[in-house]
Amino acid sequence: MLEVRNLRKEYGGLTAVQGISFNLHPGDIFGFIGSNGAGKTTTIRMLATLLEPTAGTAVLNDSDIRIDPMGVRRMIGYMPDFFGLYDDVKVWEYLDFFAAIYRVPNRQRADVIDSVLELTNLTLKKDAFVQSLSRGMQQRLCLARCLVHDPALLLLDEPASGLDPRARAELKELIAELGRMGKIVIVSSHILPELADFCNTVGIIERGELLAFGPVSKIVGEMQPHRVLAIQVLRDVEAVVRQVANMPHVISAAAVSEGDVRVEFSGDIEAQVEFLAALVAKGATVATFREDSADLEDVFLKLTTGALN
Amino acid sequence: MTQFDWKELIVHNPMLIEITRFRRRYFTFTGANSVGGVVLGLILICYATLVLIVVENRNSISPIALITFQTGLLCLFAPMTLYQSIAGERERRSWDLLLAAPITKSQIVVGKFMGAIAALGIAVGMLQVPVLIAASSYEKSDWRNVVMADAVSVTFLMCVCSLTLLFSARVKRGLMALGATLGSLMTVLVVIPSIIGVGSSDRHGSDVSLFLHPFYVLNRIGEVDEYYSRARLMSPSGATVLSYGSSPSDSYVQAFWWGWPQAFTYLGLAIVLLGWAANTLNFAENEVKFLPQGHKDA
Repeated sequence: MLEVRNLRKEYGGLTAVQGISFNLHPGDIFGFIGSNGAGKTTTIRMLATLLEPTAGTAVLNDSDIRIDPMGVRRMIGYMPDFFGLYDDVKVWEYLDFFAAIYRVPNRQRADVIDSVLELTNLTLKKDAFVQSLSRGMQQRLCLARCLVHDPALLLLDEPASGLDPRARAELKELIAELGRMGKIVIVSSHILPELADFCNTVGIIERGELLAFGPVSKIVGEMQPHRVLAIQVLRDVEAVVRQVANMPHVISAAAVSEGDVRVEFSGDIEAQVEFLAALVAKGATVATFREDSADLEDVFLKLTTGALN
Repeated sequence: MTQFDWKELIVHNPMLIEITRFRRRYFTFTGANSVGGVVLGLILICYATLVLIVVENRNSISPIALITFQTGLLCLFAPMTLYQSIAGERERRSWDLLLAAPITKSQIVVGKFMGAIAALGIAVGMLQVPVLIAASSYEKSDWRNVVMADAVSVTFLMCVCSLTLLFSARVKRGLMALGATLGSLMTVLVVIPSIIGVGSSDRHGSDVSLFLHPFYVLNRIGEVDEYYSRARLMSPSGATVLSYGSSPSDSYVQAFWWGWPQAFTYLGLAIVLLGWAANTLNFAENEVKFLPQGHKDA
């Protein structure tokens, strides 16, 4: 379990992270969302024991990052937003090097390397030089490096940046698999729809402050407590708006453009069906009718102002 | 330091992968870098030429002169081998991966050092072939002096490696480390001796002020070797007319002060510089680069 307690980082007079707190459990895939300079990387680097927090701490499976950084390092796999690969080494040597650093016993190393290569789909490149790999393969190799010691926590900083769509899809599937394996995964990314796909928890950070934290559905639900219905009618938009405004469960109704009506609706799905039936019965020329659900991107844009540290 | 610490540093140090990297970079034709293969080919041609020259002139080339040449050559080669070792990690940004891993800073520094020493050890080993040819055929040489000169050469080389590592640990760019190391060597080996040379014209003054200058030391060992050999030749019966360790009459410092004292001093200095390099890694270098642009500390 990872407990982040009031983690704070100051550089001189500038506060990069303003005392954030959250807890994550095995199997959690946490999407860390924020603009450039919002404090994501600083937070991840503190968790990776690369930066010393100004205040607060984080505890991973009873090891405190401030008291026992070496113990924490043995339990984390850190993948920064750059590859940092060595030249002049082969793929298996690179993994063997990190396996040695993480004290994977000698007799197990070959098997461990084979299994992480298989997991990351790099078995065929075992004897290739690291610098000869494509960007996507190098990314996967970095992930393989993070996995050689079977870490409890994976810190992935912008893992999908610069990858083509296929490589992204593969990476996404891989991260989801790691979550299923019971690891805590923290992923920072700008690509919000992707995060929403495989993260079960997200956090939105701006100017070092954690604005929202929790499951995607909960955050979206908090942001948009009522259903929003988008209705397209062929004629008499104003008349339809007037009719709708007086119907049950309707909180507000407005014409948003020619032929389009936006309705805030407090009823459940049954009420929604009845609402549509009543609307048609009243002679409205409904062309399309759909629930306009908010997504992570909407929530992010609504919560943040784009301000930087 | 406990036995466990030594094992962690020397035997089970994961950074010993540096030996493989150095070998692949400098001593193979089949590595990833084809330019390296071409350079290695040229070096081997030069080496073969050197061996041939020594074989052709084996009676007239002093082995200590060859060791002096080896010292000069490797003084240049060592910084070029090592300047990227830590600064390069920062440039490549693999440094963070090491810092976030459970490896000590001493292991990093010692691993880098041993990788370079292994690579340079091969070079020293190859250069011993012409030295041995010269030593076995050059009548004036005493084996003890050859071994001593080699010890001075190798320990000074270790010192240069440690100095390069220290600079590489303290600067952000590899080329800065190379420039700082070569500049320091130039200052210590050329500029300061030139100034001292202008200031003191007698041998006595030079003996004291250049006591730790490797080329001066090698020159003095060579002189002692020649002097001792001449004396030996003057006594055809083989009786030694001078005891080993006595010195030429113009020397202020006794002969036994040339060689081993400097070798041990260089070795000590190399260890101190390595310790300093490891200690240097404790400063929060990584925090510096994450200061925002325009910040007063950036």
